[in-house]
Amino acid sequence: MRKTILIATGLSALAWAQEPEKITMPFSNPAAPHKVNVDVFSGSVTVKGYEGKDVLVEYSGGGFPGPRRRAQEPAPTGMHRIGGNRAFDVSESSNTVTVKAGGPWGSDVTIQTPVDTSVTVTTLNGRQISIDNISGEIEANNTNGAVNITNASGAVVAHSMNGRVVASLNRVPPDKMMSFSTMNGTVDVTLPADAKATFKMRADNGDIFSDFDVKLEAQSAPQVVEEKDRKGNTRRRVRTDGTQTGSINGGGPEMQFTTFNGRIVIHKK
Amino acid sequence: MTCEETKRLFADYWSQSLSAEDEIALEEHLGGCDACRTESDRLGALWNDLTRLPVEEPGPSLRTRFYDLLRGAGSHPAPARKPQMIWRIAAGVALLIGGGLAGYSLRPQDPELGQLRKEVSSMRQLVALSLLQQQSASERLRGVSWAYRAEPTDSEVLGKLLEAVNGDPNVNVRLAAVDALHAFGSSTAARSKVLSSLEMQDAPLVQVAIIDLLVDLKERDAQPELRRLAGNVSADAGVRQRAQWALERLE
Repeated sequence: MRKTILIATGLSALAWAQEPEKITMPFSNPAAPHKVNVDVFSGSVTVKGYEGKDVLVEYSGGGFPGPRRRAQEPAPTGMHRIGGNRAFDVSESSNTVTVKAGGPWGSDVTIQTPVDTSVTVTTLNGRQISIDNISGEIEANNTNGAVNITNASGAVVAHSMNGRVVASLNRVPPDKMMSFSTMNGTVDVTLPADAKATFKMRADNGDIFSDFDVKLEAQSAPQVVEEKDRKGNTRRRVRTDGTQTGSINGGGPEMQFTTFNGRIVIHKK
Repeated sequence: MTCEETKRLFADYWSQSLSAEDEIALEEHLGGCDACRTESDRLGALWNDLTRLPVEEPGPSLRTRFYDLLRGAGSHPAPARKPQMIWRIAAGVALLIGGGLAGYSLRPQDPELGQLRKEVSSMRQLVALSLLQQQSASERLRGVSWAYRAEPTDSEVLGKLLEAVNGDPNVNVRLAAVDALHAFGSSTAARSKVLSSLEMQDAPLVQVAIIDLLVDLKERDAQPELRRLAGNVSADAGVRQRAQWALERLE
């Protein structure tokens, strides 16, 4: 009997620890351009576009009760939060919702936001950043985990130091510049078949693949160039800049792909 | 020799009317400056194309048409035609002189054209500078791409690019800014600032890009810092390897 109670207590404690904190935060002016800024020390971040007006934030302390116990309290009537608890914090100011989670034991943050929100996610030691169905601008920075972007239709600027950077775009805006980079991972980007873009690609220690018909610029390959001056003397020049330039569907806004140790794959959707 | 001086000598260089010492100085500059070399190559190609243009030979049909015209003119009452013909010739001559004058006044040394170029350049500078201040990383990337279109001697754009390399919160913007600096590296001040920004950089990808830039600019003063990086066990392995590679290049 005592054993059963113990187990039950343990289970309820576990359930208690994993039950996520939920916060709904409205934008002060949902009709004007709005933004979500997420800054997480460690853990994973998921952002999803949805058909709603408010930002819904779910936070779980990742199994350690410490950060969760100190989760945000509702503000007393007529007051707003001006500081204090740094473990988990959601605030809104000039149409920007800021989500901060600083728990060192890893925290999982899931956010739902209107599709047309601009989203910036930064994690220092994040497991993974996932962003889905966003038509605003996306900026994602991870250190050790992957960046996974799906169904994007705005400009994307994504970086991971050690992880993969994967992005799938439904639409390439005609006038926005994009950039995807990682030091040690693979850059894997999927674009619509009719996307117009100019690629600047650089993979120092890897290969670059694509099923697009990429028109490469002739002199952009890394090479030792032999050129003749007008007197006919040959001189050699080593191009240290290994950036390759190419265009698809006649060219368009610039997209930069950079990896040092990984490879670059550009898929046609 | 600065980029400006070099550009002034391009025409003489390609028409082979440059003094021997100017030519040596110019070629020396071209060896070290990518932007000027690209422009020189482009102008050189244009120059060669111009000399290759074929001389137009009158075809047989032109000959027939000419005689037809002559015959036709003869068959009409002359007084009615003459003034028209004269006016046409006069207009032709006027056009020729006008065209010549226009061409003369539009030659590169013209102060008005210089003024216009300056205005365009400062407009580009303005666009670059204002975009580099934007909140959106994509817009700042656009700012960096506008910086490419500014004059390579523009110290304000150079300053903003260095600021972006050192302080932009986004790694990708920093990376693009380092790439853009390749065009600005002709001044010693720029090179030493690039070198000091290597010490401040924490993103390995940007460190690698700066190392490449220093090699490209042949910055020998970078050797101590590169040696420190190559031997720093806490630095990224890729960065250490690149620093070692750069040291061999700069020796």
